[in-house]
Amino acid sequence: MTQNLEKLPKGSFERITVSAEQAERISKPSVSFWQDAWYRLRKNKGALVSLVLFALIVIMSFLGPVISPYEPNAQTITHANLPPKIPVIENLGIFDGVGTLGGKEVDLYELKKVEVNYWFGTDGLGRDMFSRVWKGTQVSLFIAFVAAAIDMIIGVIYGGISGYFGGRVDDIMQRIVEILTGIPNLVVVILFILIMDPGILAIIIALTITGWTGMSRVVRGQVLKYKSQEFVLASRTLGASDSRIIWKHLMPNVLGIIIINTMFTIPSAIFFEAFLSFIGLGLQAPDASLGTLINDGYKLIQYQPHILAIPAVVLSLIMIAFNLIGDGLRDALDPKMKD
Amino acid sequence: MKNSKLFWLLSLVLVLSAFLAACGGGGDSSSETTTETEEGTSESGASGEPDAEQVLNLIESAEIPTMDSAIAEDAVAFNILNNVNEGLYRLNQENVAEPALAEGEPTISEDGLTYTFKLRDANWDNGEPVTAQDFVFAWQRAIDPATGSPYGPYMMGGTIKNAAKIAADEMEKEELGVKAVDEKTLEVTLERPTPYFLSLMSFGTFLPQNEKFVTEKGDDYASNSDNLLSNGPFKLTNWDGTGLTWSMEKNPEYWDAETVQLETINVDVVKEPATAVNLYNSGEKDRAGLSGEFALQYADNEEVVKELEPTVFYLKFNQERNGEKTPLANVNIRKAIAMAFNKQDLVDVVLANGSLPANYLVPTEFTFDENKADFREVNGDVLSFNAEEAKKLWAQGLEEEGVSEVTLELLGGDTETAKSMDEYLKSQLEENLEGLTVELKAVPFQVRLELDQNQDYEIQTAGWGPDYQDPMTFIDLFVTDSSQNRMSYSNAEYDALVESAKGDLAQDVAARWDAMAQAEKLLLEEAAIAPIYQRGLMSLQKPYVQGIVTHPFGGDYSYKWAYISGKQ
Amino acid sequence: MARYIGKRLIYMFITLALIATFTFFLMKILPGSPVASADKLSPEQRAVVEARYGLDKPLPVQYFDYMFGLAQGDLGISINQFKGANVTDVIQSRMGPSAQIGFQGMLLGTFLGVLLGMIAALRQNTWVDYSSTLVAIVGISIPSFVFASMLQYFFALKLEWFPVALWKDGFMSSVLPSIALAMFPLATAARFIRTEMIEVLGSDYITLARAKGASGSEIAFKHAFRNALIPLITVLGPMAVGILTGSLVVEQIFAIPGIGEQFVKSIMVNDFSIIMGTTIFFSVFLIVVILIVDILYGIIDPRIRLSGGKS
Repeated sequence: MTQNLEKLPKGSFERITVSAEQAERISKPSVSFWQDAWYRLRKNKGALVSLVLFALIVIMSFLGPVISPYEPNAQTITHANLPPKIPVIENLGIFDGVGTLGGKEVDLYELKKVEVNYWFGTDGLGRDMFSRVWKGTQVSLFIAFVAAAIDMIIGVIYGGISGYFGGRVDDIMQRIVEILTGIPNLVVVILFILIMDPGILAIIIALTITGWTGMSRVVRGQVLKYKSQEFVLASRTLGASDSRIIWKHLMPNVLGIIIINTMFTIPSAIFFEAFLSFIGLGLQAPDASLGTLINDGYKLIQYQPHILAIPAVVLSLIMIAFNLIGDGLRDALDPKMKD
Repeated sequence: MKNSKLFWLLSLVLVLSAFLAACGGGGDSSSETTTETEEGTSESGASGEPDAEQVLNLIESAEIPTMDSAIAEDAVAFNILNNVNEGLYRLNQENVAEPALAEGEPTISEDGLTYTFKLRDANWDNGEPVTAQDFVFAWQRAIDPATGSPYGPYMMGGTIKNAAKIAADEMEKEELGVKAVDEKTLEVTLERPTPYFLSLMSFGTFLPQNEKFVTEKGDDYASNSDNLLSNGPFKLTNWDGTGLTWSMEKNPEYWDAETVQLETINVDVVKEPATAVNLYNSGEKDRAGLSGEFALQYADNEEVVKELEPTVFYLKFNQERNGEKTPLANVNIRKAIAMAFNKQDLVDVVLANGSLPANYLVPTEFTFDENKADFREVNGDVLSFNAEEAKKLWAQGLEEEGVSEVTLELLGGDTETAKSMDEYLKSQLEENLEGLTVELKAVPFQVRLELDQNQDYEIQTAGWGPDYQDPMTFIDLFVTDSSQNRMSYSNAEYDALVESAKGDLAQDVAARWDAMAQAEKLLLEEAAIAPIYQRGLMSLQKPYVQGIVTHPFGGDYSYKWAYISGKQ
Repeated sequence: MARYIGKRLIYMFITLALIATFTFFLMKILPGSPVASADKLSPEQRAVVEARYGLDKPLPVQYFDYMFGLAQGDLGISINQFKGANVTDVIQSRMGPSAQIGFQGMLLGTFLGVLLGMIAALRQNTWVDYSSTLVAIVGISIPSFVFASMLQYFFALKLEWFPVALWKDGFMSSVLPSIALAMFPLATAARFIRTEMIEVLGSDYITLARAKGASGSEIAFKHAFRNALIPLITVLGPMAVGILTGSLVVEQIFAIPGIGEQFVKSIMVNDFSIIMGTTIFFSVFLIVVILIVDILYGIIDPRIRLSGGKS
């Protein structure tokens, strides 16, 4: 089945001439790396929703303690251990102030003659959980962000140098990392918390003192992987400088994994803080973080589930948001996924 | 077949002996234990027949650090030692020290310095007899600096002749005031008359040890259950030295073995309170302690057992930190703080475990005079909660110091209960005392000890449980050079009262009692410390468990009289 | 390769010596009294007790004594936790249960994680992907102590499928603790495998394989999977650390006589020799894991030249 091209009517086609200048023209508008990433991130619904959700949580963490009529640390001892109660929603059978006492379901607000409402209930000392949860969120996020940022900066620089230059430099740097990762971070954390005044700063320093090694290890692994690949070799052959190879060729490839790793550092920072509360070395009372709140609550899971459930839900939402944003960013930043 | 016959015979014997025990004991008013079940108590009074299977399953909160009575210093070890060994005396079901290995009361010299004990015929579980030499050996070992025992010098120093000097390495251990006159006669010489000496003899540090066995085992002695000798109601088995599990089995060689009904006690270490409660609810364990939040949740449960312990918690006010006077050197400030927190709310809501608000140092239901009157009746309450009075004193104190704002550090423990209590105290103090900021500092116990040693704190929550049954175990804590007084409190009058109660008044029971009461009152009126609460203990206990006796000091429990009744 | 491993082994011993030194001096700065009943003793009595454990000697002497002992495998004697017991014996007696639940947890977690990650990658941006991502995220969103106590409550107390706690029923006792420990490796593995698979699936040689007519499963397993496994090995180290940290919590909740719960206790009672001994033991474990990772890395990805070097 051959077509006779000769038979096409004349005039149907117009001959165009392409000038050398036009051949170089890029038809799509020029976008920078970050614009491109943002463009692709916007197309990812999960990431967008997460971004909004996360923004809401951040806003609430600052607004929550303010709009609550109660201070996070104010104790009304007669109002201890109340379940959550929210007007309007209480008619739906949830958040209605009903809790179990001695195996029976009763409206504890009526029983204890409490006129006011606690939206998230109260804890064992009669403190408002609503303002405590948001205050705790604020503290946890702060710890996690600062720790993750420090980890990332140190880890990327360290891992990058170690992996890229290799040889003796790598050997020495890896020995140092080995020593640091070789000691259980618990010991280091405890030392710092004991030597320094216990508190947020001590926890952040303790978390980062060995925390960055994970990042450096991943970055080093990736740099090792990419630096012996052909495109780097090609670039080197063409006389590119070390810094150009690192920033233009290696970084874009490693960036995805750095972001994912950071997305893991944040939850693990929040978690390690919770773990410290579990073994009794967490934040100093009466300050709260999501970790200490969960630690207070998990023992009461059978009796006062709200004390555990609410901070745990907030924590999970933060985690899910982080992971989906991370995924979105990874896809968006991957240089191989241009469309 | 043969075994099952034996089993029936054995249970018959047990049933009989239970009846005998019930008649002899006159009901079981096991210490302060009050079971909340009405039917439970009536049942145990009426029938209470022991089951055929006598197995008790218990939980312990920490592992055994050592079973060597010479170096033991913790609750777990003392508790087991109390059940697998026996000294001259033993606390009975009414918590009165009664002769155990000692046969009858000792002869006491007129000056109250020499006690001569006759020993009864009793054997170690390897069949060898327990001799007076076993006591001499064990006590010398406990005081010997080479042993490195903290409790040896602590318990014997100042009481048994030459103990303090031997502990300081200034004398040979052979010069300790204890002597085996013959195989069955032990003579103890004291440093000075000690009215409560006999109750000391039930304490773990004064248990005998078989010299031949200890020397033979060397470093391996007491390192696991095979390297131990027992002369008490039970013997320790299945303990590998570092594990989280062990058992106690009835010791057939025990001189009073017929009283003992339990065949086996299985113990597992569970450090997580929630897990302990779950094990109890699943039926695997017969008893579980309820701490913190759990106490509140189970308060109305009918299997709850409440006990009042003679342990008192108080705030220590450090008057001098790093060589500088703290605001707490001002008596009005101290008194204001001591009166500014609601103790009733604290024990009802925060602790919720049957603790009592304490307005005293020497606990209630702990020591009694010869007329059975509680020591507490002498002084009554001092430093009760009174917000108005506290505010007045506070204003006065601030004025005297010339400041309007004070920030104080409150050093506390790192357990859940300690943390919530400290949070509550902070909130109460800041609410009632204007211009006061309390900074909380929670650290592990050993760290707190160190900070206390270095006097590096301002206010500290501390607790004290007795080492013997006499108010003195509390009263002498705060004399000027006491190792507990790391807070620069010094009052010559107080020191003199304590000294005379220990010295010249030792033989005069009533005057001594009075001097101790005066000392306590003085201490509290100056608010050297601020009492908080006397600890209550809440546990879940299956209704079929009967006759566990709780002791105020030494080993916490005796299982000698315990039995299982109606488990099936 | 042999030369490389030999070199690494020598480094390993140097690293260990440095860690031991570091930990030793760390212990000396650590606040807290080594003697439990210190508050009951006068300073003189306390000095006598400390002398019994050699704590009165000058620091350098203590240090060389310790290092000398360490070289002979002697980790010293416990002061508080198990008075007079050899630290080596303590660790030996506690190793078994920890190793068992750690290994089972790691195996289970990695297996499920890899499976989850692969499915997610192959069905990228479908509900399968989202729900497996969610499982992985929820797995790390719940702190291990919450997860462990939930397992205990539902599967042991309510359903009575497994023992509530204690180490008495052999394998059955190890099931719930292993599952609790598996969550961290599961989540980690799932995330990494997904990321790597997606990346590999987008690479040129997969396109080539596809163009040559390779089947979907052939691509997934023969080409993509093998390459995606490499970064998983790099996180083996952190995963091992996670298992270690997790074991402290899980062992305590399930009352398992393992080395993790023993370590927490030793910190709480300031038993310096046990803290040091356990630290060194953990260190040996981690360093060996790292060494294995590096060797595996070289075997799986031949492009990585282990000897390094820029040229």
